[in-house]
Amino acid sequence: MREVWVITACLALVDATSIQYNDEDVAPETEKEFYRVQGDLYSLCRIKLLRLAYLIGYGTEIERSPVNSASLSMLPWPKPAVWPSVPDDATSEVVVKEKMILQETPRVKHFGIQRKPLPLEPTILVREANRRRSSLSVGNSSEIFYGRVEFNDGLAADVPAKMPQADKAHEFMMSRTYSSPGNFDCSIGRPMRLAEIFVAAERALKKTISNPDLQKILSSVENFEQKYMELTKGAADNYHHSWWKRYGVVLDGEIAAVCFKRGNFDLAAKSYEKVCALYAGEGWEDLLAEVLPSLAECQKSLNDEAGYLLSCVRLLSLDKGLFLSKERQAFQSEVVSLAHNEMTNHVPLDVSSLITFSGNPGPPMALCDGDTGTLSVTVWSGFPDDITLDSLTLTFMATYNADEGGKLRNSNATVLKPGRNTITFPLPPQKPGSYVLGVLTGHIGQLTFRSHSFSKGGPADSDDFMSYEKPTRPILKVFKPRPLADLSASISSALLINETQWIGIIAQPINYSLKGAVLHIDTGPGLMIEESHSIEMESNKKAGHGSVGTANSGDATKDSSVAAKDCSPAADKHFEQLCLVSGKIEFPDWASDVSSILWIPIRAIDDKLARGSSSGAPEKQSIVDRMRTIALKLEFGISKNQIYDTTIALHFSDPFHVSTRVANQCNDSTLLLQVVTLHSQVNATLSVYDAWLDLHDGFTHAGQGNGRPISAFFPLVISPSSRAGLLFCLCLEKRTAEDENNVPPENILNIRYEIAGDRTIGAHPPVTMKSNENAEDTSKNLVFRSALVLQQPVLSPCLAVGFLPLPSDSIRVGQLVTMKWRVERLKDIEEKRVPQNNDKMLYEINANSDKWMIAGRKRGHVSLDMKQGSRIVISILCMPLVAGYIHPPHLGLPGIDEVSITCSPAGCHLVRVLPPAPSSSFCVPA
Amino acid sequence: MTSTACFIIVSRNDIPIYEAEVGSAAKREDAAQLHQFVLHAALDIVQDLAWTTSAMFLKAIDRFNDLVVSVYVTAGHTRFMLLHDSRNEDGIKSFFQEVHELYIKILLNPLYLPGSRITSSHFDTKVRALARKYL
Repeated sequence: MREVWVITACLALVDATSIQYNDEDVAPETEKEFYRVQGDLYSLCRIKLLRLAYLIGYGTEIERSPVNSASLSMLPWPKPAVWPSVPDDATSEVVVKEKMILQETPRVKHFGIQRKPLPLEPTILVREANRRRSSLSVGNSSEIFYGRVEFNDGLAADVPAKMPQADKAHEFMMSRTYSSPGNFDCSIGRPMRLAEIFVAAERALKKTISNPDLQKILSSVENFEQKYMELTKGAADNYHHSWWKRYGVVLDGEIAAVCFKRGNFDLAAKSYEKVCALYAGEGWEDLLAEVLPSLAECQKSLNDEAGYLLSCVRLLSLDKGLFLSKERQAFQSEVVSLAHNEMTNHVPLDVSSLITFSGNPGPPMALCDGDTGTLSVTVWSGFPDDITLDSLTLTFMATYNADEGGKLRNSNATVLKPGRNTITFPLPPQKPGSYVLGVLTGHIGQLTFRSHSFSKGGPADSDDFMSYEKPTRPILKVFKPRPLADLSASISSALLINETQWIGIIAQPINYSLKGAVLHIDTGPGLMIEESHSIEMESNKKAGHGSVGTANSGDATKDSSVAAKDCSPAADKHFEQLCLVSGKIEFPDWASDVSSILWIPIRAIDDKLARGSSSGAPEKQSIVDRMRTIALKLEFGISKNQIYDTTIALHFSDPFHVSTRVANQCNDSTLLLQVVTLHSQVNATLSVYDAWLDLHDGFTHAGQGNGRPISAFFPLVISPSSRAGLLFCLCLEKRTAEDENNVPPENILNIRYEIAGDRTIGAHPPVTMKSNENAEDTSKNLVFRSALVLQQPVLSPCLAVGFLPLPSDSIRVGQLVTMKWRVERLKDIEEKRVPQNNDKMLYEINANSDKWMIAGRKRGHVSLDMKQGSRIVISILCMPLVAGYIHPPHLGLPGIDEVSITCSPAGCHLVRVLPPAPSSSFCVPA
Repeated sequence: MTSTACFIIVSRNDIPIYEAEVGSAAKREDAAQLHQFVLHAALDIVQDLAWTTSAMFLKAIDRFNDLVVSVYVTAGHTRFMLLHDSRNEDGIKSFFQEVHELYIKILLNPLYLPGSRITSSHFDTKVRALARKYL
């Protein structure tokens, strides 16, 4: 037979070439080529051997692997047109063979995988063998013809092409196949059984084969297997040498199959691993699906738990179409049972291909610094059934720094359904930054598994290289600390002191929910909350304008939508009365997202009586005196972890500032007209209903009046920050010196007024206490009391100092000028008032020494007569040093009170000094 | 039209990214696997041959009994492998060239990650149409 011949020839060739080949001095190309040829020869030889083995009934021993199937099933049957028939004496052998066939049990694959075995024959042997035989008997010439043509193509070129006669062909066949023509007839008409075919083939072969080695090989299954291994190994090695790794690896798989069958699991596993690595690496899943169960079985036999689990996971992660769901479930139950029972050592299992996870689509979750949150992660399970995970841990890393990051733990048992699962993790506060998901780890029983791969949102691709090419998307952003809420006073103008006033505190969330926020209020000294009154809270109408201003530009869009919501209909307007419980207010829910105003009734207490100023220009009252502070602490955030502390300064003031001046002094020195100027201090309209002066000693109301201005003028309405005047006519009472010393004049101005203001702007009518609600109308009117210092026309100037005009219009630098002042006594000095013993008067001239040079006495005494009208001129010689408008020297009288001095005529403020005149002496030549 | 043909696109990383059985013959159950097996093994030969010529079409590089493997290698070393039993080399060449154009269109798709599986049904339809036309 041709097969025999080919085997022998191949082996001979292999030997011959190996002997010829010297691997030292050949080019790498040649070397490769050599090995390839050898590999080809070996594999050809191997295939032929398989075919022969199959023919003689060793088919059950042949692994029905793709490679064998491919090579054998596509190879046509050997060429004898007529199959050898069973020898007569071979009955016992037939029986043996039949037994063998009957005993043959299809090897059950691990995991209960059942596949239709791959064919090893191009057509069914029984039919083929019988067809070739029966064709002769029925004289089907076309079949004979067909067979013979094949024959021509194949082997014998020397045979004449056309041989129509059946008997000739028959003879020819017989002669070639060495089968006995005599036996031929006996089995005609009865189809040969498989065993008979095997026996017939074996007999025929034995007759053919001259090579004793080959005879021995075919004589028993063991020998055949050994030879088969030898050939396969030779082919594999040679292919590996020729860098045809795919050919080589496939043959490795065949070796593994044989090892496996022999129970040599270690070797088998190694070889299978090689095969799997190639297929998995190149992603040929169909092929991988064929080999992987075998590898798994080896590993199981070897007790290689890690490898076995990994194989199971790989099986599970293969394309779903490759295995039946029942098989896939078997894989899973294998994993689960192993995880729960037999695990002796903890083996981390990489299930990246099976369990994948990703953050939720959409923008990453944004958290503010210090906030906790709940992170939900989508986990895709490739398991065919629900699988219970005992715990699940997810790490995540900061994008800017691999060290930063954390772990999310979900220790509850989680059941993963096949496909998409959403799992939420509680998220502890994180540092600012953006985070990506890291590794998912978990436990199934005692099995620790981990998964690195992210899925884009669809089922994961099992291609490994895909996983790391996917861009990792941040899932969590923790923002840098920023203001999340703002508390500010809604009013900037002053409130009424000593009255219960509403203070508005604007609570403004800055893109952050104030849900469940608690506001602690701590009033500073001199300020108390009217606890009897409830606190009002309303939504802030003006929030829209404010929030855009305070927001970051990046969030402007979001803000404007909030603003739009705020501006939208009044239905959104909320109002609620809240209670202050031990200094805390809890925010209602509606206030969590919108800006709101808290109105707190509060009273600033100031015991001091307001003081009016007596000079014409109102003296500045110290603002600090009337400033009160209120400390606010807002606790908010998911777990009250965000705290906003602020102190708000509140400005309180009296409704009026009162200043007085003497408008006129009548000739009769006892009558004074005092004008009281009321300066509105608050941003509200004040209506004065009544005003009266309580005078103390020294003053009495002039005339018959009771000290009130004419009532027809009331109510006097004073608009914000405007002034109004009240005129009081007063008389000066004669007093004694003792009185004056004992009783300081403390005159009280009482003003009964009403205030009409908006609490959103500033001062407003005080909060009416509940107890006072039924009181009469007048109680609404407030009374403002202010102490006044009334001016007496106590002194008139007693001295007049006049700066005498300079002698010439222009003074020059370096020019001596005489400055003169005239001092005149205006009236007699009463001994008591001026503590001056004699007529000596101290004078002093002050001048800037950089600008003036003063010659003469700068300080000294001059005598001035005590009588009215006496005058004296003080002169001094001085020289300006710089040009320009400069202050002249000033004459001061240190011994005399300044109020007693009038400057008349008034001295000039600045004098003009010209530069020095050009000196002619320099121009004249010597 | 050939009776048996299996067309596979193998990426640069030796991963099959597209598979199609384009033969007109009734499918044998094991055919897909068998074809994959043959084509996979042929990668070894492609690896040797690809660098020996500047032509993209490597013609028939491997024979497996009556099945022939024809390969076309693109500039990006993506291999189009066709397992067929016809002898129509011109048709195969045209087929490859047209598929190459289609493949480039796929590559131009910004949503397609080079090296990943081609799942476009449009591509599949077009390839099958081309196979009917040329093979």
